[in-house]
Amino acid sequence: MKQAPTLSSAFLHPACDQLPEPLLALRKQRASTLVDMPMPTRKTENWKYSAKYLKLDDEMAISLPNEGKTGNSLAVPGYKVVFINGVMVPEASEFPDMDGIAIKRFGDLSIDEASALSLQLGSTLDPKRTQFAHLNGARFEDGLLISLKPGAVLDQPLFIIHETWGDAPGSAYPRIFVDAGANSQMTLVEEYISSGDASLLANTVTEFDLAHGANITSIRLNMEGENVQHIGATGVVQQRSSRFESHCVGFGGPLRRHDLQVRLEGEGGECKLNGVVVTQGKQHYDNHTCIDHVAAHCNSEETYRNIAADKSHAVFNGRIHIHPDAQKSNADMNNKNLLLNSGAEIDTKPELEIYADDVKCAHGATIGQLDEISLFYLVSRGIGRRQANVLLTMAFINELVEQIPVEAVRETAQMRLNEFFEQTFQEA
Amino acid sequence: MLSIKNLHASVEDKEILKGINLEIKAGEVHAIMGPNGSGKSTLSQVLAGNEAFEVTSGEVTLNGENLLDLETEERAREGIFLAFQYPVEIPGVSNLQFLRTAVNAMRQHRGEEEMNAAEFMKLAREVSKQVDLDPSFLKRGVNEGFSGGEKKRNEILQALLLQPKLAILDETDSGLDIDALKVVSDGVNALRSEDRAILMVTHYQRLLNHIVPDYVHVLAGGRIIKSGGRELALELEEKGYGWLGIKDEEEASN
Repeated sequence: MKQAPTLSSAFLHPACDQLPEPLLALRKQRASTLVDMPMPTRKTENWKYSAKYLKLDDEMAISLPNEGKTGNSLAVPGYKVVFINGVMVPEASEFPDMDGIAIKRFGDLSIDEASALSLQLGSTLDPKRTQFAHLNGARFEDGLLISLKPGAVLDQPLFIIHETWGDAPGSAYPRIFVDAGANSQMTLVEEYISSGDASLLANTVTEFDLAHGANITSIRLNMEGENVQHIGATGVVQQRSSRFESHCVGFGGPLRRHDLQVRLEGEGGECKLNGVVVTQGKQHYDNHTCIDHVAAHCNSEETYRNIAADKSHAVFNGRIHIHPDAQKSNADMNNKNLLLNSGAEIDTKPELEIYADDVKCAHGATIGQLDEISLFYLVSRGIGRRQANVLLTMAFINELVEQIPVEAVRETAQMRLNEFFEQTFQEA
Repeated sequence: MLSIKNLHASVEDKEILKGINLEIKAGEVHAIMGPNGSGKSTLSQVLAGNEAFEVTSGEVTLNGENLLDLETEERAREGIFLAFQYPVEIPGVSNLQFLRTAVNAMRQHRGEEEMNAAEFMKLAREVSKQVDLDPSFLKRGVNEGFSGGEKKRNEILQALLLQPKLAILDETDSGLDIDALKVVSDGVNALRSEDRAILMVTHYQRLLNHIVPDYVHVLAGGRIIKSGGRELALELEEKGYGWLGIKDEEEASN
């Protein structure tokens, strides 16, 4: 019998001495769970549309260097932290100096703090559905613990620029943990970018633990290059009356995977998840979301839009799991898709598991094409065909982009999307 | 200005226009009347360049240039404007962005500088007042959630901004109450000028009480069967299309 391929052991022997003992122990434990981990194939349910894009060669197991690059000096309207290849660059970073808000690198944690964190890391994610979050757990070399004391409100958004860089193949494992105390508030903006042209892997995990009444906004722009495979996971756990809002904008690549898991554990919790994905050429993007309504009286609202051009492939898998005690849950999931060429592929799959009887759970998915009559209307006013196509394609996602609550990020997203579509319609 | 010779056009292999001949000079206002299904809207769409309609033979020139060789957007830039019978709703594109993109496409074609957002906003506000459209409509999606009358006023707003050489109005009076009809007509009358022609397509003559045409043509079965002055419209109003031997219902088959 043919042996199913497993994760190469090359990925499991990382060297690292920068971290406190409890986190090193955690890494070892995670690595031990990865021994003989089967690599996803098209028969692996949560990778069936995407396994063929995953190409992890042994040479990519090497940790990318974290020296020799200073990070981009772009100004952001808020606090800025720069990570290069999963390791923070202090010279390029500016932490807020506010009461009630502590931001620490993993390497700077005391043994007690690290010990507490080692119990929290990974606790927001379902290990069965996020195999690669374990790989991050076995490999992170640095990370950021953002702690908000009860009632703390961060006055400006915190930007984390994750740059993956390499002239030789390798991988990076950035890790962020946000511990949001009761009634605390913050906006976290994560931008994933890349430089260099070797085959790279960014394997990222960001976690949010929201105590009661916490109100957290997460914005995530994935803009890495054509040489970078990205496997990311975001885990969220919410206690009573907390609110989590997520805005993800993703540009396609050779492999793009983002798992977003939200667990509503306290009554009155609310989450709103918006996502936009655009792919062209032979690009790929796979969003897997999972919302667990564990407690009663929670609301979730999810809106994702995919646009696929040329021979690209976009995937949306939206799971909603309503647990037996989660009466009066209100879940609304909507996924609309735009296919720009007959060679493009979009797979959309709602997965509803409902074990409570007094709930409202709505879902809808559509796949369509650009409207010829709208196009005629625009060109009949003298607007060029390419520009008209760009306008109509932007229109499909504008509603979501306009909801991005940080103006500078919204403008960056709009500009990048416009450039992307102008490229898409170059030949038109 | 516009010269149509023996124009034939089909949609899905069904011939709709069966030899249209029409000459329109600058400064003139022409009305084309006819029952449902006579080909009025087809003629408008063909002139604007809708690719759903296939021109099988004939010739159309605008100021001597072969119109049928031009793409839709090139026709618009040469001065053809079609006010749609059913203006299209485009959520996600703001009316302001749409109008400015169109105006700047025209300006670019003429070798003029593009208008910046502030300049354009000022112009658009003025013109929207002219068609009695609250400037808040500029911020909404193109025609999104507009009433029938608001959509028609938005069409006239576009014509006033784009200043075409030939404005084709396709059933611009349909769906309008008497007050809206007055506003729309005032807008169209403001477009009248010596170097511009207007072609109105309408089923009823009531629009012609407000926008008085120089010539009236009756279209039936894909051909112009009668032409005359303003009085022809009144005669039609009085006697109905049956007077010319046209059966409205029968022709309404497409």
